[in-house]
Amino acid sequence: MDEEPERAKRWEGGYERTWEVLKEDESGSLKATVEEILFQSKRKRVIESHGQVRLGMMRHLYVVIDCSRSMEDQDLKPNRLTSTLKLMEAFVEEYFDQNPISQVGIIMTKNKRAEKLTDLAGNPKKHITALQKAVDSVCVGEPSLYNSLSLAVQTLKHMPGHTSREILIILSSLTTCDPANIYELIKTLKSLKVRVSVIGLSAEVRVCTVLTRETGGSYHVILDESHFKELLMLHVKPPPSSSASECSLIRMGFPQHTIASLSDQDAKPSFSMSHLDGGGGSGPGLSLGGYFCPQCHAKYTELPVECKVCGLTLVSAPHLARSFHHLFPLDAFTEIPEEEHHGDRFCQACQGELKDKSVFMCPSCHSVFCVECDLFIHDSLHCCPCCIHNQSGP
Amino acid sequence: MKLNIEGLLVYFPYDYIYPEQYSYMLELKRTLDAKGHGVLEMPSGTGKTISLLSLIVAYQRAFPLEVTKLIYCSRTVPEIEKVVEELRKLMEFYSKETGETNNFLALALSSRKNLCIHPEVSSLRFGKEVDGKCHSLTASYIRAQRHSNPNQPVCRFYEEFDAVGRQVPLPAGIYNLDDLKDFGRRKGWCPYYLARYAILHANIVVYSYHYLLDPKIADLVSKELAKKSVVVFDEAHNIDNVCIDSMSVNITRRTLDRCQNNVDTLQNTIQKIKETDAAKLREEYRRLVDGLKEASVARETDIYLSNPVLPDEILQEAVPGTIRTAEHFVGFLRRFLEYLKSRLRVQHVVQESTPQFLKDIFDKVCIDRKPLRFCAERLQSLLRTLEIADIADFSAVTLISNFATLVSTYSQGFTIIIEPFEDRTPTIANPVLHFSCMDPSIAIKPVFQRFQSVVITSGTLSPLDIYPRILDFRPVTMASFTMTLARTCLCPLIVGRGNDQVALSSKFETREDFAVIRNYGNLLLEMSAVVPDGIVAFFTSYVYMENIVASWYEQGILENIQRNKLIFIETQDAAETSMALEKYQEACENGRGAILLSVARGKVSEGIDFVHHFGRAVIMFGVPYVYTQSRILKARLEYLRDQFQIRENDFLTFDAMRHAAQCVGRAIRGKTDYGLMIFADKRYARADKRGKLPRWIQEHITDGSLNLTVDETVQLSKHFLRQMAQPFRQEDQLGLSLLTLEQLQSEEMLKKITQIAHQT
Repeated sequence: MDEEPERAKRWEGGYERTWEVLKEDESGSLKATVEEILFQSKRKRVIESHGQVRLGMMRHLYVVIDCSRSMEDQDLKPNRLTSTLKLMEAFVEEYFDQNPISQVGIIMTKNKRAEKLTDLAGNPKKHITALQKAVDSVCVGEPSLYNSLSLAVQTLKHMPGHTSREILIILSSLTTCDPANIYELIKTLKSLKVRVSVIGLSAEVRVCTVLTRETGGSYHVILDESHFKELLMLHVKPPPSSSASECSLIRMGFPQHTIASLSDQDAKPSFSMSHLDGGGGSGPGLSLGGYFCPQCHAKYTELPVECKVCGLTLVSAPHLARSFHHLFPLDAFTEIPEEEHHGDRFCQACQGELKDKSVFMCPSCHSVFCVECDLFIHDSLHCCPCCIHNQSGP
Repeated sequence: MKLNIEGLLVYFPYDYIYPEQYSYMLELKRTLDAKGHGVLEMPSGTGKTISLLSLIVAYQRAFPLEVTKLIYCSRTVPEIEKVVEELRKLMEFYSKETGETNNFLALALSSRKNLCIHPEVSSLRFGKEVDGKCHSLTASYIRAQRHSNPNQPVCRFYEEFDAVGRQVPLPAGIYNLDDLKDFGRRKGWCPYYLARYAILHANIVVYSYHYLLDPKIADLVSKELAKKSVVVFDEAHNIDNVCIDSMSVNITRRTLDRCQNNVDTLQNTIQKIKETDAAKLREEYRRLVDGLKEASVARETDIYLSNPVLPDEILQEAVPGTIRTAEHFVGFLRRFLEYLKSRLRVQHVVQESTPQFLKDIFDKVCIDRKPLRFCAERLQSLLRTLEIADIADFSAVTLISNFATLVSTYSQGFTIIIEPFEDRTPTIANPVLHFSCMDPSIAIKPVFQRFQSVVITSGTLSPLDIYPRILDFRPVTMASFTMTLARTCLCPLIVGRGNDQVALSSKFETREDFAVIRNYGNLLLEMSAVVPDGIVAFFTSYVYMENIVASWYEQGILENIQRNKLIFIETQDAAETSMALEKYQEACENGRGAILLSVARGKVSEGIDFVHHFGRAVIMFGVPYVYTQSRILKARLEYLRDQFQIRENDFLTFDAMRHAAQCVGRAIRGKTDYGLMIFADKRYARADKRGKLPRWIQEHITDGSLNLTVDETVQLSKHFLRQMAQPFRQEDQLGLSLLTLEQLQSEEMLKKITQIAHQT
């Protein structure tokens, strides 16, 4: 135990060979560097995601965060836990931005146990405050994959069949302490169609490989902080839903936001339903205006939410529109080797010179882009700027 | 795919080929062309077996008169089975491509224990029991007795085989052990004898080393194999030890006691037979007068434990008069036994050469050299005459008689050492007589002489030039191949210092040093926190491991390690070890993580593969030198120096490094696998040690990975493991370490391939 406090000092933490990352590029002719492989897979991801696949738009995701002893490791700054929680905040924001009608819950595992930090809910604020509070928690003992998975499954298995059930595990430890055979649990997860993905913070662990392969999730191990962020953001995008999942029409309510004027004598301040159980916590509980469920007139201050009274999903139209682009993704640009490209020497988007080995061309408007812009267009814009420009023109 | 290897059309049953496989085949072809012997080193997991098989089979088809047979020797039954499966794949590819049915016959051969289908016999657990029981059902005199007494039990499978099986050749095809058993069951023939008979005309035989190297068995099984065969010894890095073991005899007091009982039994039986059937003994006597060359009518079943290599002329001679009658021979054995007993009564260590021993035995009990030489043969004859069914009990007396024959046959290359007690327990008397072979070339010489090409191959044969020297042969090709990799999936690190700058070493002077032990513990502790799943740690010996683990326990290091991973320990008990291994694998499988503490040269280091997650890191604590105080080793070193001009230190280092390479090589079993290889001893950084590692490991040791501290090691490991955990697909390998036919044929690639083989 006594070596722990000493290691907390940065200058005693051992050598960090930050230059190694650079060195790898020029090592021997035989070895393809890992970075190059990574870049290839980045491109591939863009290409792969374009096809006619059904995406699970309504997601129920449990994020399991490892809070074991190994989270104190300082290879991410300032330590793994703080870094993870920071990224998680960004993830939660982004997640609700892209999947407004989905829900998230957070589980922490430490000391061979698993406990819920937040329940499945569609309110980003609640999660973010919980995450911010969790920064101070102590990291002790080993994590338990089994306990966290079964805790998540207890809730997820009651979710309707047309939604996607997912678990994302952020695992820092290389060991897990399980009360029973985890392979039985994997079978259960598979039969319940729960998709488990893992992001490893230190190295590839066999049981995670099996877990993700069996349940159809993905398994990645981070290289550094920026890679971690990238991997985390991969999970923002809704995964293709399995063909076996049910299709059904869902009733949704689109409540109007009504603001009663103070002068109106009939208007009485009322509690939002979501404040009743104390879950909201923040803000004044009592207010005049709000969203009223079209079915039962229960009042809510925030959307999207599931009506506590009649169970109707309440969303606003912009929410739905935001997840729209997942359904009609932008076509992948064709990759052309630089020598074969005769035409503009400048990227249409950033106007920079095309220097890389290959350029990318939009199949509909034949504009060329550089790699960076290609990724940006596909990841963030979701539409080709040149096509839009042409449309709006004469 | 179809390959053109210097004009030879080779069918290769996979769509992709590793560049080193192509290079390997080139070298192999040159060896066969020259009709000489070869030493080839190629890392495990790069498809050595299939390259060997494809090329030799192609060669056999192209030049049926030049190479008639392939004899493939492997070490264990699972390995034999693996070879047969590869061969099956190859043959299926052949018949698919050429469209004609194959007339190739290939089969595996193993002991009776693995091949017997007799319901009672095959249910026995130990190989010896099976052999003994089989013998009691199939010996010629038993079968002769059946003519007079139909109640005498015999093995119906053997009877059937003897009646019909010899006339009908085994149909062409590929037979592994189970196929042979199935075939035997269908036909009602004994698979063991069927296989032994069929190897004479088979194109490919796959069996264990011992069938060629152990003179006691080789004489039986492999005597009549054609000269124009190609012999392959796979996993041959330990071949010299196999040779030596097959020629050495150890005699303890227990052996002698059991031998005494055997002799008494013999005496009684002779007495009994004399009363009932004196004619039989007279008949034997007459036969011996005529000479040892007897009619070999029913010979194959009778010779159950045959004699060691005898010079041919002995077999022509008659057994000398002194041991010709049964009683005289038993008396002779008694005298010999008494002499050995008296020798074992020594209080101090004795070492003498064979001529000295022979002179002493002549002076003390008047036993001449000549009757001693015939001892083994004479005993066989007697056992046969006495119709002793259960030969298994007579192993002690057989051992003694083998010893007698060996000691009187060879005047060179052997030594006799009598130790009154073990070095570790000098108070407990436990006398042992070691009759130790020092020259591995004695056992393997007949193989090199008889067969046209002998190929010695393994993943770790470095330095290549020492094998031809200690085995005394002249190879035409010696080559070491590297592993072409799309990503550097092995990471050898040499840890020379602890975090406190104490030099890490297992050398004798610092072995007990507290600081070294603590730093070793620290290394394991730190590694257990960063390496996923399984870690295998090797120590130089059981004693060293016990000491270290005990003091780790006292210092509380063990407890800290156990928070990260479970700990399992290899012991000398085989059952315990296999239990530990099983649990170790389970712990790796379900994510708890485990450490296996084991010993270089132990069972784990030789036979067990730790693929993928079962071995993400191997830590070699110390340099695994042999126990240099052993007198047998000293005698051998002296012999090597005098006969082969190999310096003691060179041989010791070579031996230590090949074992170290074996240990760390356990972690990498293929190109998709990855693992850390940690050499925790500063002596590894020296050029003389490092230079003796296989080339495929050596080329990944950079200057930056020498003489690291524990901290640096942890940092490098973390980095390596993260890199390796990134997704890796087959396409990433294509064109670099995995080739299609078109890629193979490109100019550039062919040039690259020529650089893979490293000639010495």
